[in-house]
Amino acid sequence: MPSPSLSAIAGFEQKLVVGVGGMAVSNNRNTLMITYSLGSCVGVTIYDPVVGAGGMLHAMLPDSTINSTKAMEQPAMFVDTGVAALFRAAYELRVDKHRVRICVAGGAQFMDPSGFFNIGQRNCAALTQLFGRHGLSVEHHEIGGLVSRTMQLNLANGEVRLKSPGCNGDLILSPGLS
Amino acid sequence: MKALDYYIDRVKTLPPAPRLLVELLRLLQEPEVDASSIVDCVTFDPALTASVLQRCNSAAQGLAEPVHSISEGVVRLGFNEIYRLVAATIAETALNSPQPGYGIAAGQLWQHSAATAVAARVVAGRLGLEVNQAFTAALLHDIGKLVLSSLLEDAYNEVIRETEQAGHSFLKTEKILLGVDHAEAGGRLLERWGFPDVLVSAVRCHHDPVQANPHKRLAACVYVSDMVAHLLGLGLGYQAYAVEGRPEALRILEIAPRELESLVIEANTALERTEWATQIAP
Repeated sequence: MPSPSLSAIAGFEQKLVVGVGGMAVSNNRNTLMITYSLGSCVGVTIYDPVVGAGGMLHAMLPDSTINSTKAMEQPAMFVDTGVAALFRAAYELRVDKHRVRICVAGGAQFMDPSGFFNIGQRNCAALTQLFGRHGLSVEHHEIGGLVSRTMQLNLANGEVRLKSPGCNGDLILSPGLS
Repeated sequence: MKALDYYIDRVKTLPPAPRLLVELLRLLQEPEVDASSIVDCVTFDPALTASVLQRCNSAAQGLAEPVHSISEGVVRLGFNEIYRLVAATIAETALNSPQPGYGIAAGQLWQHSAATAVAARVVAGRLGLEVNQAFTAALLHDIGKLVLSSLLEDAYNEVIRETEQAGHSFLKTEKILLGVDHAEAGGRLLERWGFPDVLVSAVRCHHDPVQANPHKRLAACVYVSDMVAHLLGLGLGYQAYAVEGRPEALRILEIAPRELESLVIEANTALERTEWATQIAP
């Protein structure tokens, strides 16, 4: 007799933590993906409602050309290689680029007119450029500002929530499908 | 200074003075330090000894055989590594508590400080600065938050007004609301505890390193390491990114702006390898 799939166990929720410079994809509807301490880093979630699959990326730096060895080892560390890796992994789960719902959060910015330390801003610019080049549009975003954020994606319905220190309750970035 | 001392004297939960660190830093500066004096200093405190040995024997140190005593640790890992493990153990005890005035949960101030210290080790090593001093100053750079946290507890709305609406940094906000800031408070604490001037000055000026002359290189190292910790996602608490950019810190250290991203990668790798910095005590 085949063993039951996790999704068949009612009420079982699998919490999948995505680390800094990490990513994950899944088509298990009971999965809650979560990433903590999105400061100047950017978090990207994708969700395809038709196949019920999605993924999350937590990228730290905008451009992989700074260290191509690191980019091979850990593509999710960089926006350019990370987004590519996230989509490639999601396509394996039959996610379709034209159906995918994209949310972006993070990119907090220092008070730095010189811009030298504002990697958050460069992360957001790199994402915008990359999505533009591939004809992808971001459905919801919450970027910049002075706060660190926690982002979560619920694969049961595609809902994306954010939490920040000092804010009561979560901000629903993208409402899930009912 | 009076206002600062007044605030410091009123705090009920300040950690005890880390006299051992002051003493160890002094010993390590001596050209011909006697191993037994360092070992005696540490083993005087059995709880500290146990914690340091636990850290010596963590997988990250990569020892095939466990270390059974501090003197064996000194032989196998070296004075400097033992010093840093002692410093981290003492700092963790001091910094582990929640700081509600800053929106910092239990363990988070320690997590940020540990990441800053690991980054300082990388930055100081690259630039030929004294690594133990940089590491210690970075570990303790935010200790002034322990003094000011309770005073900020009911001031969340004012903090938001000053940072988000008026565009002031968190440091400036503290100065506006309390008349002192956490960098000054930290510097004063270290001074009262008898730390050398170079460390006092690096902590006091870690948001404005130019002011730390003649110790501005160490202060700039702490500033850059603090920024690197933020860039690694370890800027925690309310308005954690309300920090002023100081390009002069990069100039003082002769770091090209593009190199900052390489430092972030290097510090991230170092942090992943540092078990004591990524695990939070319950």
